[in-house]
Amino acid sequence: MEGILAIWQRDVIKFFRDRARLFGSFVMPILFLLIFGGGMSGTMEELVTSGLQVDENFNYVQFVFPGIVAMTLLMTAVFSSLSIIQDKEFGYMKEIMVSPISRVNIAIGKMLGASTVAFLQGLMMFALIPFLGIHYDIGNLLQVLPFMFLLACSLASVGLLIASLLKSTQGFQLIVQVIVMPMVFLSGALFPVSNMPGWMDIIVKINPITYGVDVMKKVMIDVDSLSPLVREVMGLNLTIFNRPVTVLEEVLFMIVFTVILVLLATLSFRRANA
Amino acid sequence: MQNIIDVRSLNKKYKDHHAVKDINFQVKEGEIFGFLGPNGAGKSTTINMICTMLVPTSGSITINGFDAVKQKSKVRESIGIIFQENTLDEKLTAHENLMLHCKFYKVPKRKRGARIQEVLEIVDLVENRDNRVETFSGGMKRRLEIARGLLHYPKVLFLDEPTVGLDPQTRAHIWEYILRLKEKEGITMFLTTHYLDEAEISDRIAIMDKGKIITINTPAELKKELGGDIIELSTKNNSQVMRDIEKDKNIIDVTVQDNILYIKVHSSDAFISQFIKKLSVPIETLNIRKPTLNDVFLAFTGENIQQSPETQSK
Ligand SMILES: Nc1ncnc2c1ncn2[C@@H]1O[C@H](COP(=O)(O)OP(=O)(O)OP(=O)(O)O)[C@@H](O)[C@H]1O
Ligand SMILES: [Mg+2]
Repeated sequence: MEGILAIWQRDVIKFFRDRARLFGSFVMPILFLLIFGGGMSGTMEELVTSGLQVDENFNYVQFVFPGIVAMTLLMTAVFSSLSIIQDKEFGYMKEIMVSPISRVNIAIGKMLGASTVAFLQGLMMFALIPFLGIHYDIGNLLQVLPFMFLLACSLASVGLLIASLLKSTQGFQLIVQVIVMPMVFLSGALFPVSNMPGWMDIIVKINPITYGVDVMKKVMIDVDSLSPLVREVMGLNLTIFNRPVTVLEEVLFMIVFTVILVLLATLSFRRANA
Repeated sequence: MQNIIDVRSLNKKYKDHHAVKDINFQVKEGEIFGFLGPNGAGKSTTINMICTMLVPTSGSITINGFDAVKQKSKVRESIGIIFQENTLDEKLTAHENLMLHCKFYKVPKRKRGARIQEVLEIVDLVENRDNRVETFSGGMKRRLEIARGLLHYPKVLFLDEPTVGLDPQTRAHIWEYILRLKEKEGITMFLTTHYLDEAEISDRIAIMDKGKIITINTPAELKKELGGDIIELSTKNNSQVMRDIEKDKNIIDVTVQDNILYIKVHSSDAFISQFIKKLSVPIETLNIRKPTLNDVFLAFTGENIQQSPETQSK
């Protein structure tokens, strides 16, 4: 138990020491905020409202913001897992591996370290809310935090598994390119993914971001006050096996997803004799 | 004395290479055990198996009474390792590195402060405890690593070339610390080094070559076994010398390296007087000495440990 804590603590300390990374990981999400929030929001809002022939006070930025936060979580969580490969390259992984900490605790500690760092970054995104001309209920914002952390855990476990299998940072960069972008676009984080062709739909449905973002939207945005049509267009009626999913199911999915990936990473740590 | 490490019929086969071939040895509690051998002999492979980092193909390893395959966690608690390469976190301070280690090894909370202070004193780094490791010199890093390896009071400390890449003065210092430790804590040490003069501090030495252990003995015994004296000689015409002394009964062995003749004789006193008379070419340099560990090593492995394979093939 203390082993988990120690591994976690090390990653968190290092996060606060590394200013460059702190600011660097903001670049992409802010870019997306500018594109989706500034440039595209007018178009999107017009599309939605005119298409529906209703005059809603629909704010696209309000809708896309949770998705951007989720994207920040993904970016930071995955890149924090990179620290595992750096530890292999710089030798520290040996210090961890020869110690009596059980392999599963190493995996959990590393996963929690990356999720905490991601969570903190996601939280910092909240500081932008006043500048975006949007408003969320404080209570809702507080309520969303545990879900945000859970999503961060799922995403960190993806990074963990990849990192546990690799030996060099180069390979990691490549795999991240191949995995991160599809995960963002096939999740409903930035635009609805209701009517995807078959194989894409499968990716959407096994993608933890899909559920994480859906929960975040359900909590942050007062979904019930939106007209059913807007909900439909914005992809807020997520279904699985033709049945709407509940928050509980989404949470369960993220937990199971995280547990499976952490266990797989544990196996990989056990095999690898770093 | 009890055996703290017991290795029996240990084998390691990589896909295409039998790296460790059925070796057996025991290390006694409290001794310094030197583990020597040319590059590729299988030393690191053996150490990694003992330290639970590599699964043996066959054979058994017992450390401090625990089985290295079945009781990995117990074995890990019993050992400390100083790897050949740096395994500190350079972004953290010395103190942070040590504190993490305490947590990894479940050193009781109340004892941590005192232990950290104690090991920092042993390696003379008390003043640097709150500096980041990236600001340390190579020697300081090495000392910090040794300090870290001691924090959990391991029964056995493995040192894989602890002084590689350090200047002679720092090397001497590190050995001073290591000896101080042995006296103070009575820790068993298992060390590999490529500097044979350093291996002299070992109580016993095992020489490994091509996956096998060729001999295990005390440094003094090894040198005595080799026997005789060594005459290092260079002349204008070494091949003429070889012909001159060809039939001398006193000579055990002659090797040539870098234009120097190494003549091993039973007794230099008996040999030298008539040898000088017999010699038909002028002498450039002459040196008579007792065998060193390097000579022992050479005799057993046919290789000079301080030479890289490239210079040997010349
Ligand atoms: N993972 C591996 N796969 C295949 N062969 C290996 C592997 N690791 C080591 N070997 C081989 O096993 C042999 C022994 O290697 P080892 O690293 O144990 O030697 P060593 O005695 O530590 O040498 P050095 O003094 O250079 O450190 C070498 O021939 C090496 O090429
Ligand atoms: Mg080696």
